[in-house]
Amino acid sequence: MKISYEWLKDYVCFDLSPQMLAEKLTNAGLVVAGIEPVEDDYCVDIEITANRSDCLGFIGIAREVAAMTKGNIQRPELGIDISSVSDDVSQFIKVEVKEPILCPEYTARVVRNITVKPSPEWLQKRLKCIGLRPVNNVVDITNYIMMESGQPLHAFDLDKVAGRQIQVRKAESGEEIVAINGARRVLFHDMLVIADEKRPIAIAGVMGGKETEVTESTKNILIECARFEPRQVRRTSKSLGIVSDSSCRFERGTDPLGLDYASKRTAKLIFEHAGGEICKGVIDVGAVRNEAKKVVLRIDRLQKILGLEINRDVIPDILTRLQFKILNYVDNFIDVEIPSFRGDVSREIDLIEEVSRMYGYNNIPTKTSISIRGSKKSKYETVEDFIREILIGLGFYETKTFSIVNYAFLGGGNLWISEGEEAVEIVNPLRQEESVLRTSLLPSLIRVKMHNANHGYEQVKLFEIAKVYLKREKLPHEKNCLSLLEAADFFEGKGIVQLLLKNLKIHAKCEWVNFNETRLFKNERAAKILLDGKTIGYLGEASKELGFKTLCTLLELDMDALVEKANFDKKYRTPSPYPMIMRDFAILVDEGIAWASIENCINNLEISTLKEVHYFDIYRGKQIPEGKKSIAFNVSFQSHDRTLKSEEVDNESDVILDALYKKLGAELRKQ
Amino acid sequence: MIEKARSFIECMYGMSVPAFFITNRKLFIMPEEIQDTQKIFHDEVARIKTLSEAELLKVKYLGRTGVVSELMKVIPKLPVDKRASYGKQINALKDEISKILADHINRLSLEKKSSYKKEVFDVTLPGKLPCIGKKHPLTQTIADIKDVFARLGFEVVFGPEVESEYYNFDALNIPSDHPSRTDFDTFYIKEDVLLRSQTSTVQIRIMEKQKPPIRIIAPGIVYRPDTVDARHSFMFHQVEGLLVDEGVSFADLKGTLYQFIKSYFGENVQMRFRPSFFPFTEPSAEVDISCSLCSGKGCSVCSYSGWVEILGAGMVDPNVFEAVHYDAEKYTGFAFGMGVERVTMLKYGIDDIRLFYENDMRFLSQF
Repeated sequence: MKISYEWLKDYVCFDLSPQMLAEKLTNAGLVVAGIEPVEDDYCVDIEITANRSDCLGFIGIAREVAAMTKGNIQRPELGIDISSVSDDVSQFIKVEVKEPILCPEYTARVVRNITVKPSPEWLQKRLKCIGLRPVNNVVDITNYIMMESGQPLHAFDLDKVAGRQIQVRKAESGEEIVAINGARRVLFHDMLVIADEKRPIAIAGVMGGKETEVTESTKNILIECARFEPRQVRRTSKSLGIVSDSSCRFERGTDPLGLDYASKRTAKLIFEHAGGEICKGVIDVGAVRNEAKKVVLRIDRLQKILGLEINRDVIPDILTRLQFKILNYVDNFIDVEIPSFRGDVSREIDLIEEVSRMYGYNNIPTKTSISIRGSKKSKYETVEDFIREILIGLGFYETKTFSIVNYAFLGGGNLWISEGEEAVEIVNPLRQEESVLRTSLLPSLIRVKMHNANHGYEQVKLFEIAKVYLKREKLPHEKNCLSLLEAADFFEGKGIVQLLLKNLKIHAKCEWVNFNETRLFKNERAAKILLDGKTIGYLGEASKELGFKTLCTLLELDMDALVEKANFDKKYRTPSPYPMIMRDFAILVDEGIAWASIENCINNLEISTLKEVHYFDIYRGKQIPEGKKSIAFNVSFQSHDRTLKSEEVDNESDVILDALYKKLGAELRKQ
Repeated sequence: MIEKARSFIECMYGMSVPAFFITNRKLFIMPEEIQDTQKIFHDEVARIKTLSEAELLKVKYLGRTGVVSELMKVIPKLPVDKRASYGKQINALKDEISKILADHINRLSLEKKSSYKKEVFDVTLPGKLPCIGKKHPLTQTIADIKDVFARLGFEVVFGPEVESEYYNFDALNIPSDHPSRTDFDTFYIKEDVLLRSQTSTVQIRIMEKQKPPIRIIAPGIVYRPDTVDARHSFMFHQVEGLLVDEGVSFADLKGTLYQFIKSYFGENVQMRFRPSFFPFTEPSAEVDISCSLCSGKGCSVCSYSGWVEILGAGMVDPNVFEAVHYDAEKYTGFAFGMGVERVTMLKYGIDDIRLFYENDMRFLSQF
């Protein structure tokens, strides 16, 4: 809300520069976003939090200033000169409220025989200072009083109200209205309107209609001062796309006891500046005097919540300054009556906030009396940090990409869900093409690679740890994944997986199976990774379709599975003091025999002295028959209790070769 | 003999032999006696200054027709009983001369090498850098925040990003007609299912499962349908904190956040608490720190106020405790939340939030 510094002084006496005023307001929770000099005045822009609708008027802000400076509020005189009063208002207008829940109170006053003309200079200046455009004396005065009181008002040209009858009713679907700002809108049956005998003449709480607006030729006016249900106004304003000073105030709720003041004050000012005569009385439909709220505040509770020893007398003083009424104050208890304009205060804690706000947050001590407590790092964090450190050490850059993606790009990656399975979709996306929660991180990494390639960085090494979202009955399964992209071949990528598994001490059975169910990978050079039979990831060289200039390998691993299997227990084992003996083998096998089956065959022999089987080469060439390949590896043997004899190792080697021959038809390669 | 030696040395070492070796005849007088020879050798060695002189001396004494050979020739002429002892003496002399000359030649050739080498070892050339990667700046910020709070006993917890309205709104005391619930402010998946717009959801999930005392921080991603520009992103990160126990006060909240701000932004930073409004805390506060760019003097980053807002905080609203069946009379608590992007932008002077999600190497490599 924008206020004029000079205008504010009408309601409260203060001796503060605009800057000092801004600081005081900010420290009381009314944040000043800016101060602009306007001629010999200042426009002060205040951010009003959603709960403080009472501060959407000068008087509300003046109340805060008065409470802060221990000053007094000055309310303008309301007395109307009796000689100005003419016939009774009921002779000129009838009001019927058909929706009392949506419009709890509607008041109408009539002023006759006025002269519409430009407002006096001082009024125009004040409105301009806070960014309002002066129109004519009547419209300006309704705006002026809205700004003063926070209560929106509207003036109709009474002679244009058909049948001299006001109805507050739901719109009929298809009814049309042209608002004062010129916008033509088709109304729906859930909207509330002010109508005359024939048609809607205003959108309730949002904006008046063009047809009944006050113009130069207007002689008689109807001043509407009403209360509308906040939700109704918000919905209508949103769906019609019309936001006004009035709708902003009604949306947040107005003072139920504020109508009388605003209506009288408007009539008085119009009489003073547009002449004519004020009709006697007011039409007031739905006026119910609701009982004031009463709340008990306990001093010890306040001290406990704030951590503050506070003088007993300070509390009622602050509350009184904020216009709360102290009904009773005995020992620990203060009975407080809440003024009608403070709709946001209804509980003890609300009063505690009021006291702390005025006492000053910065006067509350800054303590550190909370007890000592240890905290433990979760296994997930430990594994995530560990993996991140390793990858960074290996030269990978961490990325962060959006989880809302364009599913058309590479079919979303299609790794953790099968073809045709649906992804989680957003009903109201910002952009229609980016409307799905990703099911793989790889398409995003591929985009990052493309972006950097366009800027001359071809050889990037990237990774990301983030969630993928797999559709389930109610909430999706959010799976933590590690995704990685590197200008390298399949086996370099596989090396990283093996390095991670090894260092996370994951000893579960790991299998690598050919995989060709995604557009991301080259068919021949991709694998699905299984741990104890459960899929934990996918690795493959990037498909040609991706158009990378260099060979590139992509990986996506299930982080949650890694976390579950990771093992950080460490126990030292004395290394064997006896020498290790190594034997090299080169065997000929059929092309179709995988290394894994050779390794398994050897490990399955359960040779007690066998320490490690280590692959080092594969060869296909002149000396090797068609359909065969030569695989070279070495096996190391070691015992923990003795030095192995050469013959012993030779025997075990023979056992190995024998088994490889029988199971896999492997033969020792002759030189 | 001398000429031969001279040309040999010249050829071998590519240098001229000082004239004095040739002209000073006295030097080349053959000593008759072993002792003489020894004495003269020591005199001559003492005068050696260059490698070529040493080489020349070596030829003179140990060459095929050198002094030692000449002395050897005497042996057959000696009486039989003296030959052995004379021979031993000559051998001892030869060993001594060989050793002394070898030392000198060694030393002088080293000196020569170091003074005549052509390559100069340039230690100022750049080193060969191994490649290491970088953490994303947002990860770094989250880690820094976690670090500070972990030392204060806060445990790190996580919650789902796709949530029900209950956790994102209802349980957080956000009224059913609150504007933040509309699809202008929240992404919806379907009826009652949405993308969380704040990490405060995790508070509720933890309090439902655990009884006080509670001390947690919850970092994570949140979503709001804001049009993307330099200051807004539809996806960003928050860190939420919650402490619930008996006797926790607003003063403790101030103390805890002050510890954090000092640790993260530095000892000299000022902190300011301003009243604000959040449905799930009361009293609520926004916390500002003195602008690090202008040290509080006023600049465009702090809108010339000298202060920048970094987090929202407050005492947990009793209605929130009611939703998780905590006794609000017995327990009190505070909660706070901050935007990770905002804190990171302030700390490193980053002026566009989109940079975090573009992952340009020229950006990432700077952290």
